[in-house]
Amino acid sequence: MTTRLIPTVTDTGSAGRRLTFNIFRFDPQENGDKPKMVSYSLDETPGMTIFIALNRLRDEQDSSLQFDFVCRAGICGSCAMVINGLPTLACRTLTTRYPKGEITLMPLPGFELIGDLSVNTGKFMRQLAERLQLWLHPREGEQSIHALEQAMDPDEAARLYELERCVECGVCVSACATKQMRDTFVGAVGLMKIARFELDSRDGRSVEDFYHVIGNQDGVFGCMTLLGCQDNCPKDLPHMQQIAYLRRKMAMTLL
Amino acid sequence: MAKRLNLTKWYAYLDVCQSLSGVLLAVFLWTHLLLVSSILLGGEAMAWVARTMELSFLSADGQGYPWVVSLIAIGVAGLALVHAVPALQKMPLTLRQHAALRTQMHSIDHGDTRLWYWQALTGGVILLLLPVHLWLIGSAPETIGPQGSGHRIWAQGAWLLYLPLLLAVELHAAIGIYRVVLKWGAARGLDTRIWLKKLKTLVSLLFIAIGLASLLAFLPYAPLAG
Repeated sequence: MTTRLIPTVTDTGSAGRRLTFNIFRFDPQENGDKPKMVSYSLDETPGMTIFIALNRLRDEQDSSLQFDFVCRAGICGSCAMVINGLPTLACRTLTTRYPKGEITLMPLPGFELIGDLSVNTGKFMRQLAERLQLWLHPREGEQSIHALEQAMDPDEAARLYELERCVECGVCVSACATKQMRDTFVGAVGLMKIARFELDSRDGRSVEDFYHVIGNQDGVFGCMTLLGCQDNCPKDLPHMQQIAYLRRKMAMTLL
Repeated sequence: MAKRLNLTKWYAYLDVCQSLSGVLLAVFLWTHLLLVSSILLGGEAMAWVARTMELSFLSADGQGYPWVVSLIAIGVAGLALVHAVPALQKMPLTLRQHAALRTQMHSIDHGDTRLWYWQALTGGVILLLLPVHLWLIGSAPETIGPQGSGHRIWAQGAWLLYLPLLLAVELHAAIGIYRVVLKWGAARGLDTRIWLKKLKTLVSLLFIAIGLASLLAFLPYAPLAG
């Protein structure tokens, strides 16, 4: 169900293949520019990822091509885009995945377009963090720098680290039809981060405090379990289980 | 009591109500179809089921109380309303939301989003057809039986209502149960989800087959009723 991509020695790329890239082009800064699809052709090389291909296209064919990347290793979350209908990270997608050699690249929907394949996920993530207060709210009286810190239970730490793996790439937001229909919906990334603090024993917020933030149509009760987040998350985060956990937790406040 | 019905918890109530009423309706639907399918065992069997559902074993003359069926119809209508109100809120109600959904489904290829689309679509069909069905049955419960139902379905043309309703409701219910299980976290593993999805399709197909066979089985009884 999830499309996991771990490069192996067999993924060396078929030598001599010519790839066709259909890339969405539009620069909102340029007056009179209209959105269009532009076709590029490129020779495949062993181990080629979409990220490598894009860099070569920009170096060799069209220096005006806009796309984001930093780490090229699936850690920074910058290079997310829609590749042949699936939102994912360009740096973790091998060109060998596409036997026909036809690759269509679109920017992530649901975010402000900077240009071509580059979208402003940062602005969205910052607004989300401010709105949901995605930082630790220490318990009362636990802010003394002179007191010895309590050691965290290793199991709890492991649970938190699992959720901390989110790289804020924006794929879950783009893959979510609910989010596309309802602008104010917090999406899987918002719920994931809230869950992270809800699980943290150091956080002083009560379940009622969390209900106040996500106990509505923009929060966990707006989620229709379409599972676009679960099926497309490039970090394979447990969105389905996590959202179900929050839903149960929030519904339990009725009792 | 005032503390119990907390209005700030409105959305939690709605969500729980939608899931709970959906599960109850699905259980009712499948039971209902199995009872109706007694026609496949012959007219006698179906007549016995109809009598028993009207609690004939409680009445001295063995005729039972047809109004029990009307009561059930009213109950189902109530449940359906409780289910539809929260569900409607999640539908794309504005043109902008429609456009967003269309663009999304066009640009991103995702099976479960398509499933939901079908669920929303069939939900709309049910919303239109279910009241008619409930009225037909609830207002004339005494006619339920091999001849009466056969006459209604084939001579009076109720098959035009039942055929789309059967298809819509069997798709809607199985997809809904699949979703509700995932929604509340009853299926933990991703493997569970894969076989659950297969099971859902199987259940839909099975009940559609039973429903179609039952509709056809009423055919021989239709000309007998005047």
